[in-house]
Amino acid sequence: MRKRILALSLAVALVPGVHANTTINGFASIKAGITTGSDEQLYGYDDTIDFKNESLIALQVKSDLGEKLSVTAQLLGRGNEDFDVGFEWAFISYQLTDNMTINAGRLRTPFYKYSDFKDVGYAYDWLRVPQGVYGLGFDSIEGVTLYRTAQLGSIDSTLQLVFGSYEGDATISGVKVNANIDTVTGITWELAKDALSARFAYLSGKTSIDTSSVTLAPGFTAGNLYQALNANGLAPLVAAIDIDDESSNFMGLGLTYDDSDWIAVAEYTRVEVDNSFIATQKNFYASLGRRFNSLTPYVSYERENNDAVVSIYQPYTAVLPPQLLLPVQGLIASQERDANTWNLGMRYDFHPSAAFKAQFSSEENETNGQRNGLLAFGVDLVF
Amino acid sequence: MFYRMLAIILMLVGVTFAVPVSAQIAVIVNPANSVALTSDELTRLFTGRSSALTAVNLAESSPLRSEFDEKGVGRSSAQLKAHWSKLMFTGKGTPPTELATEAEVLAYVAQNPNAIGYVNAASVTAAVKVALTLD
Repeated sequence: MRKRILALSLAVALVPGVHANTTINGFASIKAGITTGSDEQLYGYDDTIDFKNESLIALQVKSDLGEKLSVTAQLLGRGNEDFDVGFEWAFISYQLTDNMTINAGRLRTPFYKYSDFKDVGYAYDWLRVPQGVYGLGFDSIEGVTLYRTAQLGSIDSTLQLVFGSYEGDATISGVKVNANIDTVTGITWELAKDALSARFAYLSGKTSIDTSSVTLAPGFTAGNLYQALNANGLAPLVAAIDIDDESSNFMGLGLTYDDSDWIAVAEYTRVEVDNSFIATQKNFYASLGRRFNSLTPYVSYERENNDAVVSIYQPYTAVLPPQLLLPVQGLIASQERDANTWNLGMRYDFHPSAAFKAQFSSEENETNGQRNGLLAFGVDLVF
Repeated sequence: MFYRMLAIILMLVGVTFAVPVSAQIAVIVNPANSVALTSDELTRLFTGRSSALTAVNLAESSPLRSEFDEKGVGRSSAQLKAHWSKLMFTGKGTPPTELATEAEVLAYVAQNPNAIGYVNAASVTAAVKVALTLD
């Protein structure tokens, strides 16, 4: 698993006088998928088989500089970004005490139980983390985080505090737009005893997403809509719709049971962005798997429930001319989502460092009545 | 001629299947170490939840390794590898150093007061102390 190299010459060049111990590890996933019908699309797949969409490869370099200081960089290329390589993680780590570590740099936003290693498919049984819950985005933040582990009697406790900001993309109605979350402040706490573990996460921040380029009708963008509303003296309505430095918060609860034969996982999440057209998102999944030596079949269920914030335009229905009311309604309704997904799959450890996985997913979108089926398979490995 | 061939065949079969199906594993520490080791603490040490002692592993190719993973840590080798890949790729831990042979484990534990390792119970020498025996 580990290819440890004592990169003495490199270390001397980088850090004069320090005897650095550098390790290089990596992981890769090669996955293929195809939807079960010609009008079906799911997780970036359609009805022609695709080997690129969820494939990825990553290299991690960690250099231990001694005196409890280390630096870690993870370079990752995703198939759906043409394997363009970027820094997924890049941080320095300092061990304050035996049970306290501080990391600073580019970190994974600790929303979910599997956030930190969701790209490392080998680390879990599913073919992919449940998208109904994990599809939020904002995966990485730049900032600082403190980990503290402790033993409370026979319970293992891991506390994480995080502070930082996000600057990058968000996807609104299928359009990639600029997004910022300032002063991200969060806490996660995980308690584990024997087979059982529980996790709680709460993060808050000030979210700004530039929605002006989102197209509402041919030749008519959200930016055009805001202009027209402002011109009609409806600035308060614009303020209630747009996402400009809005208080937002994330809450997550997770429960895991893993006795090494059975593995059960469930997570519930709630996302709120105040004063905006973003619907409150309440999502959860539950998964059950059974290990038979090297074979682990599993079944999971995901539920997404986002109610469009129709209360935003209700006071204005009598005031607004239809050519403005309709796009306002359309924009707000675009956030409505009511979907159930069933997944059935298996992991097969066919090699000491690699696992073969196959998963069938069936998503029922109640909002538009569409059903999407997807068959995917692939290999996850670590090296 | 026939007996010689039979002998060779038996030898080959012997070599292939003579790997002990269930060896006693001795968990060893430095003689200077007076730790009273529980199986729970052993699991914690070899899963990265405790760093009270420096754990050393046998290489994955060693047959004793998978047996220790099951008996000492209570997980299959694949599960443990998945566990360590979680920690490794999130900067939260590094798996125990792997040594190629039992002789290397014995030498390492004999030289490092803080080390913990394991070997076949039959291989234990006076230079180390047995902290726990796994059947």
